[in-house]
Amino acid sequence: MASREVIQYETPLSRAFRWFSAVFLAFYVVWTVLPLFIMFMSSFKDLLEAFKLPAVGDWAGVTVFFEFTPTTKHYYELFARLGFTTYLFNSLVAAGGSAVVSVILGSMCAYSLSRIDFKGKGDLFFWIISTRMAPVVAVMVPLYWIFRQLDLVGTLPGLILAYTTFNLPFAIWILKGFFDNVPYAIEEAQMIDGATRFQALRAILPLVAPGIGAFVVLCILFAWNDYLFAAIIGSGGAKTLPAATRELVQPQNIQWGQIMAAGVVTTLPMMFLGLVIRKYLVTGLTMGAVKE
Amino acid sequence: MFSIPKNAVYRRINRRKFLELGGGAATALGAGGLTLGLGSTITRSKVQAASTDDAKWKQYAGSKLVFMSENTPPSFAIRDNIKAFTDKTGIEVTILTDDLPVVQQKVGIDLRGGKADYVLNYVQDKPIGSPFADFYADLTPMFGDETLPQDPEGYGDDAWFTNFLSACGRFYQKGKIIALPYDAAIACTFYRQDLFEANSKDFEAEYGYRLEFNKDSTWQNVIDMATFFKKAKESGKDVPYGYAQHQGSFAWTTQLDIQRFLFANGRWMDWNIDDVYGSKEPGKTNWGDEQSVFMLQKFKALADVCHPDNLANGTLELNTVYQSGNIAMQTQYHEFAASIEDESKSRAAGGKTAYAPCPKGDPKWIKNGGEPVNGTNCGIGGIGINGNASDDLKRAAYIFAIWSVSQDNQYNVLKGLGGTPTRKSVLEREDVKKAAQRPTTMPNALTFDAVYNFGIKDPNFVLGPKIPNANEYHSILAGEVQKCLSNELSPEEAAKSIQTQLDELNGAG
Amino acid sequence: MDLFRVRQFPDSVESRPVPMSVTEPASLNKPRSKSFYFWLMAPAILVLAFISIYPFFWMIYMSLHDVDIGHVEWNNFANFIKLPSDTRFLMGWVLLAQYSAMCLTLQIVIGVFLALALNGTRLEKILVTTLLMPMMMAPLVAGMVWYFLYNGTFGWYHWLLQSLGILGPKSILASSNTAMIGLVLVDVWQWTPLITLITLAGLKRVPQDQLEANMVDGASPFRNFVSVTLPNLYPVLLIAIMLRFMDNFRFIDSILVLTGGGPGNATKILPVYLFEVSFKFFKLGRGAAIALILLVVTIILGKLLVRVFDRQQPSKV
Repeated sequence: MASREVIQYETPLSRAFRWFSAVFLAFYVVWTVLPLFIMFMSSFKDLLEAFKLPAVGDWAGVTVFFEFTPTTKHYYELFARLGFTTYLFNSLVAAGGSAVVSVILGSMCAYSLSRIDFKGKGDLFFWIISTRMAPVVAVMVPLYWIFRQLDLVGTLPGLILAYTTFNLPFAIWILKGFFDNVPYAIEEAQMIDGATRFQALRAILPLVAPGIGAFVVLCILFAWNDYLFAAIIGSGGAKTLPAATRELVQPQNIQWGQIMAAGVVTTLPMMFLGLVIRKYLVTGLTMGAVKE
Repeated sequence: MFSIPKNAVYRRINRRKFLELGGGAATALGAGGLTLGLGSTITRSKVQAASTDDAKWKQYAGSKLVFMSENTPPSFAIRDNIKAFTDKTGIEVTILTDDLPVVQQKVGIDLRGGKADYVLNYVQDKPIGSPFADFYADLTPMFGDETLPQDPEGYGDDAWFTNFLSACGRFYQKGKIIALPYDAAIACTFYRQDLFEANSKDFEAEYGYRLEFNKDSTWQNVIDMATFFKKAKESGKDVPYGYAQHQGSFAWTTQLDIQRFLFANGRWMDWNIDDVYGSKEPGKTNWGDEQSVFMLQKFKALADVCHPDNLANGTLELNTVYQSGNIAMQTQYHEFAASIEDESKSRAAGGKTAYAPCPKGDPKWIKNGGEPVNGTNCGIGGIGINGNASDDLKRAAYIFAIWSVSQDNQYNVLKGLGGTPTRKSVLEREDVKKAAQRPTTMPNALTFDAVYNFGIKDPNFVLGPKIPNANEYHSILAGEVQKCLSNELSPEEAAKSIQTQLDELNGAG
Repeated sequence: MDLFRVRQFPDSVESRPVPMSVTEPASLNKPRSKSFYFWLMAPAILVLAFISIYPFFWMIYMSLHDVDIGHVEWNNFANFIKLPSDTRFLMGWVLLAQYSAMCLTLQIVIGVFLALALNGTRLEKILVTTLLMPMMMAPLVAGMVWYFLYNGTFGWYHWLLQSLGILGPKSILASSNTAMIGLVLVDVWQWTPLITLITLAGLKRVPQDQLEANMVDGASPFRNFVSVTLPNLYPVLLIAIMLRFMDNFRFIDSILVLTGGGPGNATKILPVYLFEVSFKFFKLGRGAAIALILLVVTIILGKLLVRVFDRQQPSKV
């Protein structure tokens, strides 16, 4: 997507702008990375070392940040003693499960919505997307109530279903855009050659496959990062990483070292996934309204 | 609309696929449900009053129970040691632990929904007991039941520390007991003996009395000390701030912080209701009266000389501030002593900290004719049984409940993870007595004299207010007092605003 | 992008992606028999109905009843009638508006500026990837990390702010004047890159020929920006604003960790208050009433958003 070069004349104003923007960019990159860096470093520090600060205004004292004996004990404790292996597994199953369910059901629905017209289709479509926009806190009470009746609270299937409340409408909305871009003519041609409708659908799936793959990842990202559902519907039998991280705030000690380690464990996989689907991010995060 | 399409080929393929997929998914979900489900199960063998003790303990062998608890030491310790219980009874207990607000949410919806997924609950006295008391089973019929195992020490008020059974077990009606004391957090004063000694001369020169803290020290003394440390720090001396309040985001502990201060001065209370039983209709509040406005002025005066992060530090954060050596004194719950004495986490460890009762009221501050006391309050976590459960489930849960609060168990928790006993007999053990002096292997025991022999006794102790709207009351009080401390409202305005909102809340407007 | 290459009529201007259609498929032909498609749709619709319509009716039912004291009782709209005199409810809206306004203004200004600074530079790719990182973080974890940074006792950002003379010894979350700013900064840190990303996508759509033509006519870069670039950015920015605004309604994870609504209710934006009413006070009826109002407002905003989406449709095709 290379844009063509535009001949620009250097004026004092534009030179000033360039300098200013370079400085600002540098500043902004530091501002973005610093909290992550501090989180990462603090996860290897003993509590008292993590609390070391220079005196106010003592800029040279910044070096105390690097004065520590690295320890992996926080990570060790998370996994060996505090059950983070289970929580990691729960996060994987809940996020992955809901992503798969959402994308399978969602693409079936999106495909159909893309192919036919019927009365009230606009309203149906709006209803679908409005379930995605609903404030989580607002729907939590009745949802909890219903899940309780069905004994889904504190179970992984329950959490998968809870995440489906926001992932499924998202998947339908985005995937419909994908299918819209595949002409019906391809399927027609297939069917003239004797394929069933279902086979015809299968024939066009490869065309949308990369998009679908990217949105499985996005759904995982949304579900993985959720806290409210995990805290209220999941925790207990299906505690995920964010809920478990919150629990490290214990009445008698806030386990900062472990919290930072848990933060790293929760964040790193998602950053990696984010990189993998980098080029679908804008489309995904703007619900398909903007593309790169 | 959804008629079956006539296209047979697709149906054949699809159905097979569907069955495979669906079957697999159903199996997966079903298995997940089985292993992770919260349902309790009951298997039972009959016992009579004459049966052996062992038979009574084992009568529900093979049953499964779920205990929803706060993430405090006793629950961790019991979870680590749960095998002992299963060996003794054959009952399996799943212990779920969460942050108190989450426990509150889950327990509340479970009880309200008429369900009993969490048969055993951590009944934190005011936040959980007050709103949900009616939903818990009355334990008294089971206390004397000869077909159940019983604790040899019994469950009378004498078996526990003073007021403990009332605090977490008695709500709104006489005769009913909904929970047994499981763990306790009692307020007392932690202060830095080393800093007090080092600065004693300077302090005496300015205030005319020695920089010491004991059971006769008043809240006015606390203000003096905090002022002294703040001034010294701001003039560049190497001392921490003197004091800090619990004014962070957790409304309940903020309420307790305010309550201690007001109660110390003339035993002032929010409502004229029975302190043990509380009331479902507390009527008009006392907020807005002369005493409350005056006390808010003093509370604000104290806040002004506190650690600058006063409004961000709740109980937990405040303890971290103290651990890191940034305040010289805090009113804190005695269960925190273990974390203060932990050298790997605390700069206040190793004999630097001394423990004393809560500060006393100042006679000059009292407008209502009451007496000055060492106002002390608490959060006593009880173990209670969900009233929605079936009789057998309740009986099985009872077996766990009495086991979890037995002397041996509490002793083990104290020794292992630093719990806070609720049974008197724990303190009579020789090594616990010895642990009350340094050097100690059970740091919480350092507080026992100030707490169990003084703070929790009348007239110093306040249990309530137990009202069904306790949580919203905590939130209103915390919000308005914080506005007062941050100069948005004057003490008069804050007191009036609290009065209006509380009366509206309780329909007493 | 491979996805859009499947279009039968490749766009004549490669660098000008056509926004995804949300209402009509690219083909004019439609299958006649519909039942197959209805069957395909059914499972998703049923699942959605179960997790959204059913709870919705529950919510309406609860909002009209007193579900406070363990029993359910019709209460003549009392849950709604009491709301206008509930100062915490009203302040919740005010604070929500303030919070959203501050977040959005900062994010738009910084985000657009970053995009302009980055657009077409050699480092664009690597820098954008770097800037994206905070967006991948769970808001709860972000909240905890920032709590750690802001802490008055051991927080590095507190030390920094103090050393720069911006703050006194009182940390940013400890004062009702600054706590909101503390929350806004976290949101800005996490979500400004989204605005940058969206703006960058928008900048690629700015007609370069027009820019050049203007330049030849002697227009300054600044005038070009105002008269050509900005109007082209406007629709994507509108979408960005709406999306962020709705997310401010949806997510309160980091606020719950950072301030819980305090001090002195200074950050108790409406969703936080709603959370309190429902899950701390257990006033499920009152909570449902507030939730319903919040939901209606969100749906109206959603309707507006969808209209913006539709306006984004390419006029031709």
